[in-house]
Amino acid sequence: MTKPTPAGIDPRGPRFGASITSVLLLIIVFLGLDAATVDAAFYLLIAVAALFAIGAIFGLSKHPYGIIFRKFVRPRLAAPTELEDPRPPKFAQAVGLFVASVGVVLHLAGVEFGVAYAAGAAFIAAFLNAAFAYCLGCQIYLGLKRIGLIGRS
Amino acid sequence: MPFELKLALIAALVGFAMLAGVYWKAQTGRAKLVKSGELVDLVKLQATKNGQPVTKFGRKATVLQFSTEVCSQCKQTARLFSEVEKQHRDLLHIEVDVTNRLDLAAHFKVLQTPTTLVLDASGRVKARIGGAPKPATVKAELAKLEI
Repeated sequence: MTKPTPAGIDPRGPRFGASITSVLLLIIVFLGLDAATVDAAFYLLIAVAALFAIGAIFGLSKHPYGIIFRKFVRPRLAAPTELEDPRPPKFAQAVGLFVASVGVVLHLAGVEFGVAYAAGAAFIAAFLNAAFAYCLGCQIYLGLKRIGLIGRS
Repeated sequence: MPFELKLALIAALVGFAMLAGVYWKAQTGRAKLVKSGELVDLVKLQATKNGQPVTKFGRKATVLQFSTEVCSQCKQTARLFSEVEKQHRDLLHIEVDVTNRLDLAAHFKVLQTPTTLVLDASGRVKARIGGAPKPATVKAELAKLEI
């Protein structure tokens, strides 16, 4: 049966968070390209993965970027013209968590540039979301579900 | 790795992401003509509108929109179609959530949402729109069906 639709969120919130995330991921790629700085990149990637986990489990309203947006950014903007379902960005956070985790595992397995590959892939998605309002839930959710990679929610 | 090479790789990554974004924006929401499209079966579709089962197509055209729960653009698209529907009594907008209707997603080969099928008066598929369409695209497609 259909569950009630959760309360809407300001659609600019997730894009604000995605902007910060894409800058962080770009720094991680940069640091991950050099053996001298790859450890710093690795720890930063763990931090980003932890942030994705908060978004994926508790939703963006409980995420630090969501809180920053609500407290400091949102009051300076005009009221949103429309509210957005919180579930699409939650799904995108889960995808981010998966990709960041793959980077962590690759690094631990000793794969060279494992951190940079994963951070690079996550950067593309976060950047597209921030700059072009690209929505992972719209583009890949149904495909993943149809091939059975994600089950019934 | 030399500093310059690292910078070049970062620039290439950002450039690639930008190109991908521009390409995606250019092709998303465009209507594709469907030649000899199928006749949509409302019984199999089991769509509801305002809590009532949908048993008839729009008098001149129907837009059949497939959505999921995790699709932010589906809501915007549904809002757009509702507005157009208000202005044209011969148009019917049906939205089907395929999150738990994978049979329909497979049958209509839906991979991304929103995906919209534009049907003529008899319920035959005339065009297919992948992604969120622009108002002008919707207008042009409906004009072909005399709306």
